[in-house]
Amino acid sequence: MSASRWLFVCWAALTALSLCTVLLAQSAAAWWLSLAILLVAVAKAWLITNGFMEMRHAPRLWRRLMMSWALVLALLVGLTLLAIV
Amino acid sequence: MWFFILAELSVFAILILVFAVTQAIKPQMFGESRLLLNTSTGLAMTLSLLTAGLFAALAQEQVRHSRSRRGAIYLLAALLAASVYVVLKVTEYRHLLASGLGLEHNTFFTLYWILTGFHFLHVLLGMLILGWLAERCRRGRYDASNRSGFESGVLYWHMVDLIWVVLFPLVYVLG
Repeated sequence: MSASRWLFVCWAALTALSLCTVLLAQSAAAWWLSLAILLVAVAKAWLITNGFMEMRHAPRLWRRLMMSWALVLALLVGLTLLAIV
Repeated sequence: MWFFILAELSVFAILILVFAVTQAIKPQMFGESRLLLNTSTGLAMTLSLLTAGLFAALAQEQVRHSRSRRGAIYLLAALLAASVYVVLKVTEYRHLLASGLGLEHNTFFTLYWILTGFHFLHVLLGMLILGWLAERCRRGRYDASNRSGFESGVLYWHMVDLIWVVLFPLVYVLG
């Protein structure tokens, strides 16, 4: 796949996931929906990191640091949401 | 540049966690206040930022192949997409202020203004950087062998995108 086509695929996936976030938010309120929204946010962050920022070609340490940012943040935010439930 | 980006991400991570923890302490206030925000506007802002990110990445691809003039056109498209975000955000801010939902209204809006305002400033700086890169591209200052400065500028923009995709659900949706 050419680099430009790969970027378009990333953008299309990001757009679809953004719509998915709003659709999930409009569903009935439930703790698992909140977790699903957080997982979608992590997937979007990883798409930006690997696709737009091209971290898939970066040294493993930097890639892991960048990818763990959204994951750790989502885990911690998820824990605060569980505290509400 | 990567150290700078990680430092910026750390600052935003702290702010995001403060927002999340405060939400856990005052869930009812956050739930009610969030209803005063328009999720559709938040979605439109997300799409405009992501589209700007796509054009910035496409510009980088052009510069990588020493087609810097074409890269400048993509950067202008990125700026146009980012301008949509700015218009939407300013409209939202004006609407909230007109409704009396300023920084001191309640804890939710204090954190909303700090978080989104800080991010908004980053967007404006990112747009300045993209504009500067576009001008240099137009003059043919970048090519396949001389593009590290260009890539650093574009990376900054992607960082702004990255922060927003976490901010958007937290501020507009979750709770």
